[in-house]
Amino acid sequence: MRNNSNVWGGIFASLLVFSVAGLGQNQLPPVPAPLSGAPGAAPAGAPARGGGRAAAPKKPSTPTPRWPDGHPMLGPTPGKLGYWDSGFGGMTGKRAPNLPTNIETSEVPFMPWSKALYQERQKTQQRSDPHARCLAPGGPRQFHTPYGLMLYEIPEQKRIFVISGGGPRSWRIIYMDGRPHPSGNDLNPSYFGHSTGKWDGDTLVVDTVGFNEKFWFARAGFPHTDALHIIEHISRPDYNTLKYEATIDDPKAYTAPWSGGYTIPWVEGEDFEEYFCQDNNRDAEHLIGPQ
Amino acid sequence: MKAFKYALAVAGFGLAVAPAVAHHSFAAEYDSTKPLKLTGAITRVEWSNPHVYFYIDVKDAETGRVANWAFEMGAPAVLQKRGWNRSTMQIGDVVTVEGTRAKDGGTHGNARNVVLANNGQKLGAGSSEGDAKQQ
Repeated sequence: MRNNSNVWGGIFASLLVFSVAGLGQNQLPPVPAPLSGAPGAAPAGAPARGGGRAAAPKKPSTPTPRWPDGHPMLGPTPGKLGYWDSGFGGMTGKRAPNLPTNIETSEVPFMPWSKALYQERQKTQQRSDPHARCLAPGGPRQFHTPYGLMLYEIPEQKRIFVISGGGPRSWRIIYMDGRPHPSGNDLNPSYFGHSTGKWDGDTLVVDTVGFNEKFWFARAGFPHTDALHIIEHISRPDYNTLKYEATIDDPKAYTAPWSGGYTIPWVEGEDFEEYFCQDNNRDAEHLIGPQ
Repeated sequence: MKAFKYALAVAGFGLAVAPAVAHHSFAAEYDSTKPLKLTGAITRVEWSNPHVYFYIDVKDAETGRVANWAFEMGAPAVLQKRGWNRSTMQIGDVVTVEGTRAKDGGTHGNARNVVLANNGQKLGAGSSEGDAKQQ
């Protein structure tokens, strides 16, 4: 019996290898596992990754940690270590860890030019992705950049820092002091734009404008322009889960705003390690795409 | 190049694990239809981000010519979770690599698994194509 199990396990492993190896235009499978064995890798109540009777039962997550005033704490609790195991999820499609409310790519309200550019990026296997050249991941891309994500709220400073462990190890500030966005020539186009936030119940709502056009806001390669306006809804429905959703509003690239998001699991008891994409990046010269 | 006798993958490579995430498109850089299995001695190790690289001298069994191959692995933090550390490979160590060849046709590949000749240990290389658990 045990030998039979091993045989079937080997066949399954082989199929997994080849199914992964056979991925075409997107280098990532739709349902990869987290980098670490993070507890609560799936949101409470969600189907276990891989389904199947062999899946171990998930431990119920502890409740959302909160600040003394009652609003959710998005980072480590006092005296603890941890980070969000980012790198997975996408803006379209409903398969976990994506949100069940996501639309399909075919439903994205592209303009003709943005649809053509998106299709070109798929056809060329995303070889021109700026992120592969270690440029900063603006918008939702910051929340699915591999190698960890931290959100640190500093109430005394009325700001939240969003820190990427991967990519060029960049960080972004969400201003929580009620300030408006700069306007006109005072709004310099940038990778992360200008972000202001406020709490709406248990959800952090972040409004960002002022993006440049030098990055892809999602791994999939959806185009955008300098008119991009993103509204993010970020919450922590339980201790081990970050729920992220972004509304893409770019009237130069899409005929209507559209939204998508995913959940991100918590890694307890660890910090992420130093990672600078630009340290020894040898990939760019080899990214030649389809032959 | 056929003299390098690429091993055609006809079976699994042990217990596969889900692919590590990468900062670039795997499909744009590597050709999944061109698996590699090469053995050689380590000439250099770059234990750095975004990918660890190692280089091996591979001798052509027919001509005797030696070519230096570069192999990409996952980031150091990913490899550490697969049993590696920065001293696992030393200059001169003989290793056997299973992986995928770069599309540009050069002596460059993405490592999926590495077997260390000195102790027989097989380690997953943190490939975004998927690799194997430590054996």
